Amino acid sequence: MTRATPGSQTSLREANRARIVDAIKRHGGLTQVELAGATGLSPATVSNIVKELTASGVLHTTPSTRSGRRAQHVTLARALGIVAGVHFSQRHMRVALSDVANTVVAEHNMPLAKDHRADNELDKATRLIADMLDSVDAQMDEILAVGIAVPAPVDIATGEISRSGLMRGWDGISIADLMHRRIKRPVYVDNEANLGALAEFRLGAARGRTNVAYLRLGQGIGAGLIINGAVFRGFSSGAGEFGHMTIDEHGPLCRCGNRGCLEAIAGGPAILDSLREGNGPGKLSDVIVHAIAGDPLCTRAIADAARHIGIAAANVVNLIAPERIVVGGELARAGELLLGPLRHSLERSVVMSTDKVADIVQGQLGERAELMGAVLYAIDRATIGGDDYSIPLS
Amino acid sequence: MTLVTEVSGDRHQSARPVLTMRGINKSFGAVRALTDVDLDIHAGEVVALVGDNGAGKSTLVKILAGVHAQDSGEITFDEKRVSIPSPAASRELGIATVFQELSLCDNLDVVSNLFLGREIGAAALDEVEMEKRSWELLRQLSAKIPSVRVPVASLSGGQRQTVAIARSLIGEPTVVILDEPTAALGIAQTAEVLNLVERLRERGLGVVLISHNLADVQAVADRVVVLRLGRNNGVFTVPDVSYEEIIAAITGATDTAITARDSRRGEESR
Repeated sequence: MTRATPGSQTSLREANRARIVDAIKRHGGLTQVELAGATGLSPATVSNIVKELTASGVLHTTPSTRSGRRAQHVTLARALGIVAGVHFSQRHMRVALSDVANTVVAEHNMPLAKDHRADNELDKATRLIADMLDSVDAQMDEILAVGIAVPAPVDIATGEISRSGLMRGWDGISIADLMHRRIKRPVYVDNEANLGALAEFRLGAARGRTNVAYLRLGQGIGAGLIINGAVFRGFSSGAGEFGHMTIDEHGPLCRCGNRGCLEAIAGGPAILDSLREGNGPGKLSDVIVHAIAGDPLCTRAIADAARHIGIAAANVVNLIAPERIVVGGELARAGELLLGPLRHSLERSVVMSTDKVADIVQGQLGERAELMGAVLYAIDRATIGGDDYSIPLS
Repeated sequence: MTLVTEVSGDRHQSARPVLTMRGINKSFGAVRALTDVDLDIHAGEVVALVGDNGAGKSTLVKILAGVHAQDSGEITFDEKRVSIPSPAASRELGIATVFQELSLCDNLDVVSNLFLGREIGAAALDEVEMEKRSWELLRQLSAKIPSVRVPVASLSGGQRQTVAIARSLIGEPTVVILDEPTAALGIAQTAEVLNLVERLRERGLGVVLISHNLADVQAVADRVVVLRLGRNNGVFTVPDVSYEEIIAAITGATDTAITARDSRRGEESR
């Protein structure tokens, strides 16, 4: 297609097409009348563009009714079925539906209680998926696979969290099995940092590299390793427990039971604790917002955490020498306030000369990295001959 | 209180609460609905008000909204002592209340509902300006409303709740009170409303959230204030409290801060 000159009739039409597709992406599915409202275009224009995009296979229309009138319900056309991705983090749940070409057709997120429990949250996820399927006019049996990211090491052979005590409400159960019972579709579970790494490797800041470390810094601290172009899980999927590297043998007690883990010194709760005196900020996001606004104490707290993380990251660099370190998770929103001190302390502790050391960058997918990873994982497993060990045969 | 805590407090949430209620009493005839109830609300904080049916949550909120007047006790707003004789006075102070029944006009569109009674334009209404401001507001709240020119009747439960909350923000309030915002909503709509509460918090508003759903409460609240039979029965900060402790305080199955204090006082006086 030739490029439209700006300001021409053609470029206007292209912009309008983009507006319509954007609006549908944002809402999942809309009627033509609602589309006119959401985009500010005239109903005739909407009707023309929808007709054109339906013919070219971008959109899909189904007849429906709104307030008793006939209407056209417009959704994105889906190639070859859909997959669902779910990301449970310590305080958040994100759910996305996507087609197998990585086009997200519907997305939702909601805050979760601290110490959430598997049965409740899986129920919520199931209901949310059902709701979202409804909004894009699809049926449960169109789902090819469900990918789930959880903030704990997962034995991907059984779909069970392989280290108890880290997520108290999720211990000793097979997440894949429980979710499969609810949703009756194949379910694949992996650790969130592994999936975040996968997403940044395929779609984000680590594209085109072969050896990458993805650090997920937030409430908890984890890492996903890409080695020779594949996610490295190690023996019984125990690799990448970056947050539980011992920094100080006599340090504070960690929730894993050891002393002086990186997470106990530089994780979200530790950062908040260091600001506790008086009426400190209640959430990690507050600390980040205050730090960006120039608050010296919060800036300092993030820099202190970054220095500890930098030392641990230097150990990783000494061990596997990645080309690039991608920093994701909630804390990555602090940008250079985090990356600057992290880089500085890393460079002091690595063996290789500094020009041969991995560059440290912020993730491109932001807080959605793990969710996109779950989607990608589901697509991978669903299309490349998937049902080998999703559900333990019982 | 020492100077140090005051200074460090100012930087984050204001050290002094925006709104305080002290020793609030209210009776309806022979029924004592509230007895010596205290409540603090800081800016940029979500306070959940929980309790069993008839614990006095709604009565307390109605006092703030100017529906009822308290029999005794004092309310301070921005460190000034105030009285709230009418809903208009409450709104004037900067307290916005969204009641369970939402009070939207079903036959009017979103814009008319948002600006109902506060229309822009001298003689003729400035529809363009109102529509622009509506979009601006809904976008700030990341609200998923497809069109602002459809009658409210055709919106989903969550979208209607969003409109009601957006309407409460038109008058630039400092405290927003939400009465059971997630009751009777589907899961996707609940998610939207909870995200909305987080947006309000980020805007630096004090939010009072009344809810029976403890999962929702623990997901978004910073502090949980428990009422039981018209009395305070404990204040918890969310990171340090478990689901079971809140339930125990609601049902009265435990020693609480209040009973502990009372027994301490008893010992002191002895």
